[in-house]
Order: sequence, then C-alpha cells, then structure tokens
Amino acid sequence: MTEPRIPRISSILQTAPVHTDSGSPAVEMDPVEYTLRKRLPRKLPKRRNDVYVNMKTDFRAQLARCQKLLEGGGHREICVHGLGLAINRAINIALQLQASSQGALQLAANTSTVELVDDLEPEDPEEAGEPMTRTRN
Amino acid sequence: MSAAKSKMREKKMRNQPISVQYPASQDVESNTQNGQNTSVTAGAFARARAAEVSTMLKAVTKTTGSCHVFGALPKHMRRRAMSHNTKRLPRRLRDVANRMREKSLQTGSKKKKEQAKSKSRRARRRHGNLLLEFNRRQRKNVWLETHIWHAKRFHMVKKWGYCLGDRPTYKCYRPCYRAMSTHCLLQDLSYYCCIELHGEEDKLLVSLSQLTNKETGPTFAAAVCISGRRQGSVVVYRAGKYPSQPVGPVTFLWRPRMQGSTQRQLWIWAHPTIKQDLLTELQIVCQCEAVVAPVVPVVIPAEVPPLPEPESTSAKATQIPRMKRKRNCKDARGPPAKKILGDGTRSPTTPITWKSSSTGIVINDLTMEIVRYRLIGPQSHYVLAETLEAATVCNENGNKSQPSSFWWPEHCKDESNMNLHQQQAEVFHILKEIYSAAELPSGTVLGLTVDDPRLTLPTKKVKALPCLKQAQESDEEKSRELMLRGVPEHCCQSFLWDQSVRDNVTDNKISEQALNRMRNEVLVPGSRLSPTPLQGRVPILLVHQPGKQVGHEMSSWGAGWDLLLPKGWGMAFWVPLVYRGVRIGGLNMSLKHSQNKGIPHFPHDYPDCPAGTRFQEEQETELLDKYKRRPPAKRTNYIKHGCLAPFRCPWQQLVEEWELITKEGREERKGEGQTHNKTDADTVMEEEMTSHLDIFVTEPQSCFTVLRNRKSLRLISGWCRPTTSKGQRPCRTENATPLDSIAVASFLTEHRMSLVWVRLSLLSKGKPELNSMVCAPLAEDLQLLGKKSDSHSPQEPPHRNHFKSRVKQRKKGSEKAATSSVSSDRIEVRGSDLPSTSEPDLTTSAKDPKSSCQSSTDVILGLWPDPLPSITAHCSRVTLGWVTQGDFSLSAGCGEALGFVSVAGLLNTLLNQPREHRGLLLLRNPNSLHYRFAKINIEV
Repeated sequence: MTEPRIPRISSILQTAPVHTDSGSPAVEMDPVEYTLRKRLPRKLPKRRNDVYVNMKTDFRAQLARCQKLLEGGGHREICVHGLGLAINRAINIALQLQASSQGALQLAANTSTVELVDDLEPEDPEEAGEPMTRTRN
Repeated sequence: MSAAKSKMREKKMRNQPISVQYPASQDVESNTQNGQNTSVTAGAFARARAAEVSTMLKAVTKTTGSCHVFGALPKHMRRRAMSHNTKRLPRRLRDVANRMREKSLQTGSKKKKEQAKSKSRRARRRHGNLLLEFNRRQRKNVWLETHIWHAKRFHMVKKWGYCLGDRPTYKCYRPCYRAMSTHCLLQDLSYYCCIELHGEEDKLLVSLSQLTNKETGPTFAAAVCISGRRQGSVVVYRAGKYPSQPVGPVTFLWRPRMQGSTQRQLWIWAHPTIKQDLLTELQIVCQCEAVVAPVVPVVIPAEVPPLPEPESTSAKATQIPRMKRKRNCKDARGPPAKKILGDGTRSPTTPITWKSSSTGIVINDLTMEIVRYRLIGPQSHYVLAETLEAATVCNENGNKSQPSSFWWPEHCKDESNMNLHQQQAEVFHILKEIYSAAELPSGTVLGLTVDDPRLTLPTKKVKALPCLKQAQESDEEKSRELMLRGVPEHCCQSFLWDQSVRDNVTDNKISEQALNRMRNEVLVPGSRLSPTPLQGRVPILLVHQPGKQVGHEMSSWGAGWDLLLPKGWGMAFWVPLVYRGVRIGGLNMSLKHSQNKGIPHFPHDYPDCPAGTRFQEEQETELLDKYKRRPPAKRTNYIKHGCLAPFRCPWQQLVEEWELITKEGREERKGEGQTHNKTDADTVMEEEMTSHLDIFVTEPQSCFTVLRNRKSLRLISGWCRPTTSKGQRPCRTENATPLDSIAVASFLTEHRMSLVWVRLSLLSKGKPELNSMVCAPLAEDLQLLGKKSDSHSPQEPPHRNHFKSRVKQRKKGSEKAATSSVSSDRIEVRGSDLPSTSEPDLTTSAKDPKSSCQSSTDVILGLWPDPLPSITAHCSRVTLGWVTQGDFSLSAGCGEALGFVSVAGLLNTLLNQPREHRGLLLLRNPNSLHYRFAKINIEV
C-alpha cells in the first residue's frame, strides 16, 4: 500500500429546523393554522463509492460497509455524505475509518448546502389562500 | 359416508337378496319364545336352509358392481389396455367384450354428435364471431380495455360488475414491491367511475359543500384544487349527515377556468361500489339548492328526467343523444360486430345525464369513457417520458383552407392553442430532469397532447432508466420552479375535457392492422413512420399521485402518476408502457400499496360505509366457506383460542360495550368523588357526565362512526406517543392538552361511538393477520417487555369448549334415535340439551330454549354460535379493536397491522398506562394464543 487512499468526506450541512420563515415574511406563521409537511431531500445520482449516512441504520453496519468498500471494493476513495442529524455520524464514521487504517487514509471535509422544500398546508382551505411552500437551507 | 360411495354400494347391492331369512313358522317362533331351543323341527329347518342356499346361489351367479368383462379375471391378469384392445383378453371373454365395446361406442358417438352442433374452432375464432362472443361474455361483467391482456396473465375475478385482474399467475410479490419502491408498477384503474358535474362555480360549491365537512380536511373548495392545478380527495357523506353516514372516499379534479366563461367542469372519481349512492346524493344536493330545502327524494327523479331532446340546446345535451343513436344503430346492424368501447353493456335507455332546472347543474355519468392507468414508483415519470412524446405540430399550408375531420389539424390553426401546446411540452420535457416522482407537489396536474405511442414502440422490451445528464442552468431553474410551485395553471388545461374531441379521437383511431400495413411499407424496416399520421394525436391528462403522506417513516413512498386517456386508446398506451419494463400489478397489489402507505383502502377499511359493510359480509361468507371445507379435526378451533369472531369484526357491539364500560367507570368515579371532597374539576366532569348521560338515555342507540376529524385525530395521536422515551424528540406540535381524565372525558363526549384508524408495528417477531385482536396489556405484561426472549410474551390460557360436550350429547341422542345420518360437521343443537355452564351467554341461551329450539341453528364446530358473549371481556386481556389489514411489511422490516380500535377503549387504556410505556398494545392472531407487543401510531 504505497499510496494513501483518501476518503473525502463531504458532509452536507443543513441547519436545524428553525422557525424563521424566509419565504414569505409578510404572512404570520401560526402553527395551528397550517400543517407542515416536509418533502424528502432531493436525491442525486449516486456512484459506487458514495455512502449516504442516515440515522436509522445501525452505526456498525454503516462502518462495516465503508470498510468493505475501501478494502474489498477496490475504491481508492469514498465519499461519506450526511445531512442534518446524520452529520455527526458521518464525521464519526470517517474518523473511525481513519483510526483503524493506521494513518493510511486522509480526510477531506467538504460542506455544502442542500435546498429542502416544505409544504405548508392551510388547515382551513377556504379561508386561507394558497398553500405555501418554502425553502430552507 | 360420501354420496359417491353410497351410490356405489347401492349399485352393488341392487341384485343382492336383502333378506335371506326364511319366514319362520309359528311353532318355531313359539319355541324360541319359550326359550326352549332343544327341539328342532326337521322339516322347517331343512326348508329354511334350502331357501338360504337358493338365494346364495342366485347371488353368486349374478354379476355385481361393474359389469366389465375383465371383472371375471383375477386381478393379476387384468391390464388397463384391455378396455380398448379386446385382443388382450382371453379368448373366452372376447365376444362379450366386443359387444360391450360397441355398445359404449354408440352411446359415446351420440354425445359427440350433440356437441358438434357448435361451429368449428376456426369459425369460432374468426374475428367477427370472436368479437360477438366477447361482447356476449361481457354483458354481465364489463371488461376493461386491457382485459384480454390481463386474462392471459392474471387470475381474474368478477367484482363490482367488472372483470378485474387480481394477481398475476407468476410469482412476483417481491418484484412488484421492489418495482413500487425503486422503479415503476403499472395498474389499470379504468374501473373507477367518473362523474362529471357541469355548472357555475359558486352553485356547484354550495351544493357540494353539503356532502363534505371542513373538519376532515380540504374539501371540494380547497383553493389549490379549485384552480384546477391539483387533484384533491375527500370523504363524501350523505347530504348534511356528517359525521354519521359516509358514502366513501372520492378524488376530484376541476377543469381550469376558461376565459369568458363562468361554467366550470368537475370530475369526481369514485369506486364502482359507491357510484350509485354518490349519484343519488349528487342529484339530491344539486336540486335542493333552489327548491324548498327538504325535497322528498321520490319527487326528484320526476323533476330531473334523463336529458331528452327538447333540452338539447346546450352543447352537452346534443352530444349525448348522438352517442345513443350511434349505439342504437350499432345494435341494429347486428352481425357485423363492433368491439364495444366503454360501457357498452349499459342499455341505451339508461339515463346517464341529469340536469337540474333550478341550478343549471348538469350531472353526467362518464363511466368507462375515460381510461385511467396508475403508475406507482419513483421512476414512473421516466417511463412516461420515454413512452409519450409531445404531439408533432402539423402545418400543412396547402390544406389550411379545408376543414379536416380530425381534431388536431383544426387545433393547429389556432395560434393560442399552439402556444399552450408548446408550454405544456416544455413542462413535460423538464419532468425528465427530476430525479424522483416524489419531488413534485402532490396532486399536480399536467395536460398534454401526445403522439400515438405505438409509433415509437421499441422492438425489444427495455427498462426505462434515468438518463444522467447534467442539466443546463436555465433548465435547472425551471425544474426548481416546477418542484416548488407545480405546473402553471394554464398548462393543466387539456382537450381531454372536451367531449367532442374525445369522441373524435376515439372514432378515428388507426387500427392495429392499418398501422402494421403502414409499417410494412416503410423502406427501411424498423424505422419510424416519418409523416406521423394525422389521426395519431391524443389528448391526455397526467395527474400526480402523492406517496405516503402520514407518519414520519418512509415518507412519500409509493408516489406516482395517473394517466388519463380517452376511451378506445387503452391498449395503444398499455403495450408501449409495458415495453418500458414496468411491472404490472392487480387488485392485490393496490391493497398492498395502500397498506404500505398506511392509508385505509376502499372498500376494505371503511366499515362505516355501506360498501364497506357489504364487503365485510362477502368476506365473511368467503372465509367461512373456506373454513368449512376442512374437516373439523384439521381446522383451528377458535373457541379454544378464545376468538369470538375470526371472520368478521362486530364493530357495533364493540363500540356499544365500550360505551357501557366507560359509563360504569364514570359512575364509580362519581361515587369516589362524592366520598372525597369535590374539586372543581370533578364537578365539571360530573356535569359533563350527567349531561352526557342524559344524551345517552334520550338518544336511541346510534351507529358507530369512524373518527375523521383532523383536530381530534391530531390530539389523540399526540396522546399515543410515549412522552419520556429516549430517541424521541419532543415534537413541535406537541399538543397543549395533556392526557388526563378531564381531557379524556371531554373528548369522549364528542366522539362517543367512534372508531379510530391506527397503525400497529410489532416490536418483536410475528406477522399479524386479518381480524387479529388488538388488546390492552395488563400491568404485569409491561414488566415482561424488558426481557427479550420470545417465551416471555404474554399468553392467553386456552379456553374450554363448552359446546363440545353439547355436541357429544347430541350425537349420542342421534345414535339412539337411529335417525338418518347427520352430517358430521353440522349438528343441530337444541337449547334444552345445554349443560349448565358458567358462561353467561350459555345460560342466557338456555333460558329461552324455545327460540333456539325453533331456530335450531347449525353449529359449526370450532366457531362460536351467533349471539356472541361480551367481546371485550372474553379473553384475559381486554379487546380494543381488530386488524383489517395485516402483513409483514417489506418497507418497515417488521410485522405491521392496520385496523380500527374503539376510541373509548383506547383512551381508557392510555390513561392507565405508565408514561414510558404509553402507546403499547398487544396483538393476537385469531389462530394463536401468543400476544405480541405492538406500538400504536395514529397518523394524521
């Protein structure tokens, strides 16, 4: 193993849901009148060496998957992605991988923004006008 | 003994002497009577033996049983081939055998001659004759346009007046699930009925508002829906009867507004089982608006006649008679059969249009006029994008002056139409850039005109896959806009709404044969037909179907698109779609689809609707028949399992019992309150209770309802969550009212006799089944929860079968009386035979033996007879409700069940549970004694 493999960790950051409505500041937001419905984040085309980390799957399983990709899969680098609550976990996985590789791995962290869409559905559709959608970053 | 066996025996014994007893003379009898058998009269004895011997000889000489000749041969010399090759028989038997064979051949030929009267297969399969035959066969149950395709591949069932594919004949349960969650699953939903309302917007809204209630969510008047940009869905109730008498769920679609016209068009899509109810309701509400409010419904049919000729001033009215006339002349033509398109089995005199003179609303029954396909799955829009191609504009300058008989060239002449078409095509093009069908706003509508998809049919079946190319900046901007806002309003317009265009397209469809001939004439084989034939433009509507919207897990699973087509074009679109590698699902899959989405499926999960009740009855008889087909020793003994109703859910009884229980509980509490110092809260509660009691006394026993009020549902779903468990973040919408007795009491006064739709996910192993019981755990059960081992799950002690002893007695009695054979699984039980038991219902039924004597009900072994005892208290754990859909959920990875529980029972249970275990219930299958822990979820 002459060349160190470099897992690039691009953790995609998303601020925790804060109640600031960026879309339409004119309308007062009342949680009782609207139903918030979150849409899933947009899925992007995925390569073999992309690992999307979530909070549902067991941590060890995700770690094992990454290790398998690095060792058996023949990939020189892998990208570990995390969003929101899973950012911590993505970082954790990357550090664990690095620790277990005895210095053969390098980390590169990237952060970026993902646009998310929420639907606000008015409770009383006849009185309130349009249901709004807002984007959060 | 089975019928066949007894018949054989009878045949065998036919020639046998029944009694070989010689009629004994008097003196012999007297001798035996005296008990002195010492002396035997020689003459009489000899005569008696002689008679016996003669009958024996007679019996031996007569052939019995089968009269085949080789019956005379010993067994080891018989061969099967002897029956048709007599030379295999020994010579001494050949003559007889030959004679027998000729005889049998003669009878056989007679039968054959009778059959041969029908035409040869070749004649029967000739196209015209075949169509005639097909038209005859679908007189009772209508066929969809894809029927023949389905009939070759699916198990067909006759349901709701249609022939529908239930499930494929090949094994594809998991592939279909995979298709739904990763690629695309196609279903033919053309059996859904479309009802068109035509009238002024405000009048329509006023009349329709009687059918719905705002509390259950958006109604017909929801702002996004009314613009025509989104499809909406509501649960329709009988006029002004909310919340008691629901009709069923419908989806609706408004036609976008047109310039300079106040007339609006509305399509209501309903399941065929509720179509009639819905139609009558619509007729009532549309009429009631102007006339005096309580109109006697009998009068209405007289006032709203099926549109006759005099009213043919409106465009709609002229269309309808024309259709009818065509159908009539089609019938008159007779032999040159034409394939029935749409609902041709309906008699031409059946009214399909109603008009009200006061409101000007026209109701139009468009059943089978529009084909509806459903594509489920995140990649369904790729399939659509690959199959469909926006219609090519035809600009033949020379022909501009001549009016064409086809609709598209006419439309091409109009500049505004072309603009619209281009915009729609652009939106459709952007659709390809979107990764998943779930990314669009739910219910988006897109109108489009497309080319005949048969022209671009691939030569081989290929799976439609997303093309991963980087979109340009401008496109990205546009697709973002599409994701946020949905399709702009004017793009939702489609010519599918126009009856004239629909008819034109249907009539001028190129036949498969003509198309193949044109393909044949193309110079390079396999290349596209270059000038697209003029007829090949079809207006369509694409309607987005939202995925899973409730709950937090797997959100927007199973989103997809609905494709609406004019009738007659079903197969032309079906085959190209299939060639894009989609899976096809039947009724079975749509059930699984809604189960994974966690929404009630119609009509299975609407026990309060008439259609749902009917369905449950059918299901019960079906399951009962299946159960009775097994011998009693080989089937589940539901009495021993403590399962009162394994094949149905007596909701009414459950709700009434819980009503009683809560009443008693309150009275107890009231007593406590009187002994202690009364707090304000107590008095308030008491007042409420007394008022509630008054209501209870005065009101007659009402029917149960299903809770659909959104606010109440949200409240109750908040109560169901464990409040202090780890990993659960406190939700933003955590309700203000905590769960306590006062809140519960006030909630219960509102929803006294209600059921609530719940989702239960099992914590350990186990697969819930249909009609599993949902029970409340005891306090000691919850202590078992920490232990992982499966043996620690609570168990129901086996029940005693009190009916068995009764049955035994009955059997003995029947043997004594030596009556005719009693069929072993159905035994008459009389109340008088009852042994005295501790069971309350037995004693009650024993009290009035008369009635049970008269009815003499048939008892099915292993099932409780009809007057059920108390359902809630029958088992060691209190029953709260039942499961209507249960299976191992492939999306959740554990057993999941959907069903209803009684609101009163659920709240009582939740109140008594400790906070950290709140929302834990027990689930028990009807054929098992194990209780499994399950977590309850009420999703709004």
